[in-house]
Amino acid sequence: MTFSPMTETSLLAAVCCSVLPLVAFAVVMIGTRNRRRLSAGISIGAVGVSLLCSVFLLVRHWHADEPLRFVGTWLISGEITVPIGVLLDPTSLLMLVVVAGICFLVQVYSLGYMAGDPGFTRYYAFMSLFAWAMISLTLSPTLLQLYVFWELVGLSSYLLIGFWYEKFSASEAGKKAFVMTRLGDVAFLLGLLVVLVEFGNLDILELNSLAPLQRMDPAVITLSALLIFGGIVGKSAQFPLLTWLPDAMEGPTPVSALLHSATMVAAGVFLFARIFPFFRLSSTAMTVFLLIGTVSMLLSSTMAMVARDIKQVWAYSTVSQLGFMIMGLAAGSFFSGVFHLTTHAGFKALLFLCSGVFIHAFGTNDMFEIGRRGGRGLHIPMVCMVIAAAALSGIPPLSGFFSKEAILGALAELDNPVWLAAGLLGAFLTAYYTFRLLFIVLFPRRQEPEGDGDGKDGGHGAHDPHAHRQEYRAMAGPLLVLAAVTLVLGFAHGPLERFLHFEGAAAGGHGPHWLLYAALGLASAGVALAYLEFGLPGAAQVGFVERMPALKKLFAERWYLDRMYRWLLDRIVYGMVSRACSFNDRKVIDGGLDGLSRGTIASGRRLSSLHGEMIQYRILVVFAVVALLVLHFFLQ
Amino acid sequence: MSIVPYSHVMTLATLLFVMGVVCLVARRNLIMMLLGLEILLNAASIAFVGASLRWQHMDGQALALFIMAVAAAEVSVGLALIVAVFRRTGSVDPEVLEPEPSTRQR
Amino acid sequence: MYVEYADFPYLSTILLSCVAGLLVILFLPRERTREIKWVSAIFSGITLIISLYLFVAYDKGQAGFQFAEKIDWVPSLGITYFNAVDGFSMPMLLLTGIVFFTGVLTMWELENRVKEFFALTFLLVTGVFGLFMGLDLFFIFVWYDVSLFPMYLLIAVWGSTRKEYAAMKLTLYLLAGSALILPAIVYLVVTAGLGSFDLLALTEPNLFTADQQKFAFLLLYIGFGILAGVWPFHTWSPVGHVAAPTAVSMIHAGVLMKIGAFGVLRLGMYMCPEGWQYWAPLMALLAVVGIVYGVFVGLQQTDLKYVIGYSSVSHMGIVGLGLATVSVDGLNGAVFQMFAHGVMTALFFSAVGYIYDRTHTKAIAELGGLSRAMPVASGYFILAALTGVGVPCLASFWAELMVFISAFKVYPLYGTLAVCALVVSALFMLRVVQRACYGPENHRFSGLEDVSFRLGLPRMILAGVIVLFGLFPSLMFDMIRTASLPFVAGLP
Repeated sequence: MTFSPMTETSLLAAVCCSVLPLVAFAVVMIGTRNRRRLSAGISIGAVGVSLLCSVFLLVRHWHADEPLRFVGTWLISGEITVPIGVLLDPTSLLMLVVVAGICFLVQVYSLGYMAGDPGFTRYYAFMSLFAWAMISLTLSPTLLQLYVFWELVGLSSYLLIGFWYEKFSASEAGKKAFVMTRLGDVAFLLGLLVVLVEFGNLDILELNSLAPLQRMDPAVITLSALLIFGGIVGKSAQFPLLTWLPDAMEGPTPVSALLHSATMVAAGVFLFARIFPFFRLSSTAMTVFLLIGTVSMLLSSTMAMVARDIKQVWAYSTVSQLGFMIMGLAAGSFFSGVFHLTTHAGFKALLFLCSGVFIHAFGTNDMFEIGRRGGRGLHIPMVCMVIAAAALSGIPPLSGFFSKEAILGALAELDNPVWLAAGLLGAFLTAYYTFRLLFIVLFPRRQEPEGDGDGKDGGHGAHDPHAHRQEYRAMAGPLLVLAAVTLVLGFAHGPLERFLHFEGAAAGGHGPHWLLYAALGLASAGVALAYLEFGLPGAAQVGFVERMPALKKLFAERWYLDRMYRWLLDRIVYGMVSRACSFNDRKVIDGGLDGLSRGTIASGRRLSSLHGEMIQYRILVVFAVVALLVLHFFLQ
Repeated sequence: MSIVPYSHVMTLATLLFVMGVVCLVARRNLIMMLLGLEILLNAASIAFVGASLRWQHMDGQALALFIMAVAAAEVSVGLALIVAVFRRTGSVDPEVLEPEPSTRQR
Repeated sequence: MYVEYADFPYLSTILLSCVAGLLVILFLPRERTREIKWVSAIFSGITLIISLYLFVAYDKGQAGFQFAEKIDWVPSLGITYFNAVDGFSMPMLLLTGIVFFTGVLTMWELENRVKEFFALTFLLVTGVFGLFMGLDLFFIFVWYDVSLFPMYLLIAVWGSTRKEYAAMKLTLYLLAGSALILPAIVYLVVTAGLGSFDLLALTEPNLFTADQQKFAFLLLYIGFGILAGVWPFHTWSPVGHVAAPTAVSMIHAGVLMKIGAFGVLRLGMYMCPEGWQYWAPLMALLAVVGIVYGVFVGLQQTDLKYVIGYSSVSHMGIVGLGLATVSVDGLNGAVFQMFAHGVMTALFFSAVGYIYDRTHTKAIAELGGLSRAMPVASGYFILAALTGVGVPCLASFWAELMVFISAFKVYPLYGTLAVCALVVSALFMLRVVQRACYGPENHRFSGLEDVSFRLGLPRMILAGVIVLFGLFPSLMFDMIRTASLPFVAGLP
């Protein structure tokens, strides 16, 4: 690697981009904890500069052929060297801009949303930490560095999900998110260890070349790919570790927006894209990924169909969209997955931020309640939400349409038509549950009976929507930006594809024409069905799923996944293993020792009775023993 | 070499030692017990002196002097203790120093 | 082995400042508690400054022992007063300095028998310092016992929660350990027939046969392993941690347990390398059992300090696993973990001690809402917990990573199990954080004041050290490597 001024500037920009939020975190945490405006300013300023740097880098390297890689050493220990550095290639650059952009917008939005919260400065500190972790993750040149920041992303989302720690459900959700993703991370770490032991290093570029094929056994490649995918399953909330994500909405809504769009869950898919060529070396693993993506996509769509909580619907939709991305990637189309990741980041952040405005304004998460209290009166968020929802459902000409189309096209190229069918079904369900929510909010019914998920407080008291003009404006700005992005990003399809294209990657799928019509038709069918059930004046606003109590219960209970985990945790971990260990500790080890010492004391007492009673008797014993010893030694 | 054979000296020492032990163990008077202790020490000194004579080595005599000094110190401390015990309990019976059976640790 | 003698006796100065502190405290009247505390702070500060200076001044380009000083003590028996530090003992020295200084500051609010407390603490730490820098077996054993006995009094007098039981248990356990160490030392010295207690002379190759090494190493491993909390000899440690007063818990978990691991390393592995390699699978097995077992027992605990105690068992298991890998990375990881764990538990106990002094409870069920009542104190607690969970960019992450990697190479199954324990460790640490710190505001605690700057100073130092070495682990790894590379390269 040669250092020309060109590369040096890039390096500087990249380092600034990643380090500034950390500096902001440290400054806010140590120095300005009591200065609210200053803290927010520092944090937003830092991430703003990061955004500028990332855009600068993207523009600068738009036509670069070779990935730029700077590596130094973080630490050397014997045989292991941990490098630290920066890798700038199309994947990381694109993701970098997305991450920095969303982080920036969310932080600006939070100015309004979090105004008046007692933990305001802490919030901004954690947000900076989050931004640092995620930005550095995207820039990582080795999997080990990626793992480091991967864990930090997990940490920051733990802190932010449990931000309102006084609520039990929030701290519980944070813990659940951390532990469940940890479960995946352990698999990830084991995968890294396998690669490290078998392959010798964790450099992403080397892994993505054909070198692994020469140095690793195919079975080992499959094993390590599956293990690494475990990390993705945890982070991106795929089946079977998907239940933490819906709970994670206990955090402040902007956090959810960040979490669901560009950071936490996106990290999983980003990892997939990052070492996509490596994964592709094992077709078995790819099939498993495809299966897991499909199952998560369908499962979470069904859950979304019965949820009443507005954020929960979007959370389930995130899981299903992530499933979509993984399907696209696992189908062999690198571009479709990354493209969907990008577009999804935009419109999902938008959806959450819009919902945040409603929640902030009405103090409730329940969609029926929001509709009744006049949700459509808030024009900007309502319009933005419709745009985003349409993008989510894949309605042209919004961004989601193009990316979903690309994924479906990739699925159509597979030999087995089941995957395509599942993808189309998913598209239909997505459109249905998205518009179900929209119609419920748009066309409220007066006589709506009180439901079970009612009155869930978002952590804020109800606000009069017109009292806080300034807050409202701070929140509206990012919404408009994101809506604009959602509107136009789809047309960047072509340039992006050229940008992301690298050697060996399959071209983005363009299915046959009938597929376009089929997808469109199914999406419209979903919208129409939702309209019939929820939108039509006089419709009962009861979905077809809700008419079947058994099915509704199954979906609402998340297919009993949570119950199963609870059972496993309570019965197996706490009830059996942990209790057995404690029992062993208390009774067997300690009991044995206490028994031993009691035995020693008791036998001492027993022996002591030999020379008990009077002092002279004891002296006699002493002399007798001495005399016996003398006899013993002299008569030998 | 010497008028008194070594074996006689040792026999005397042994006899004294046994007497001392009997005195120490059998008498129920602290002062007499202390006396027994002194006799024990004297028995040891005699053995030392005799041995020193037998091997023409000065260490034995030095030890005998040591024992005298120690015995003097010991007697003074011991008598003082006995006086203290007598003042507290009004008796010089060693039995009074035993803890009550009820308070003894089980 | 390369030994560089010092032009100034830095190491003896550390010991002397401990002894001087002890003497000054003894001669101060017992009512002058303020002065006693200041004297303790100053003298412990001197030890910290010297160890910090040594850490910086240590020549990393030059492997081997540095700052050595050697005086014949009892020439007829071959006993010398021989002190030096290398890459293994330097981190321990620094750790002791940090924990000692912060421990003294942590006890600033002590009212009960101040003089005796600080005097005994100084005595304890003298032994610890001496052991870490000693290179003469006789002195090592003496220092070992010097560091054990004050412990009994410190726990039995100033402790809480079943303190007599804990003190007795701890002392008996550790004496049992020393009853194994002493024969091993005597055996090795006599077998070698050099008439010398010099550790470096006894590490010459081919001095002992393989069988002798196996025997002696086992004795040393179990003897020191008891102190290091090796499963199943660990049960003294949670009980002891719980009963001990804050500073003693800090020194105890932070430094004293490291003596055990360090003893296995310095005595066992240096003198009996073949024995070490022979018993390594056993060490690895016990270590992994300890790692997994510690976290599972930790899940069931209801007392804040017990939780930390069992996490220590688990973390010391990682040290053991690192030592058992017989590789440079494993050793590096193990020594770094000793350092990181020492600082981490010190922070843990320091935070818990603060909380306990205010709330008068350690029961997790009675706590809750602390983050609202005292955000800074609970912040330190959470930081320590996160370090324990192994969050990157906090010190112990790197240690664990190195140990996992090297363990995975040598013992794939054990490595996998140890990695899997990470999930449970996250679960139990976060469970405690959630129960104790989070939750609605607890009105019983609402009047309590948060950590002031002066009382926060020790915690700040500890937290700073954790973050510093988490972000720049190479500071420590470069140091440890100077010892581990030649050591492993010189193995038979």
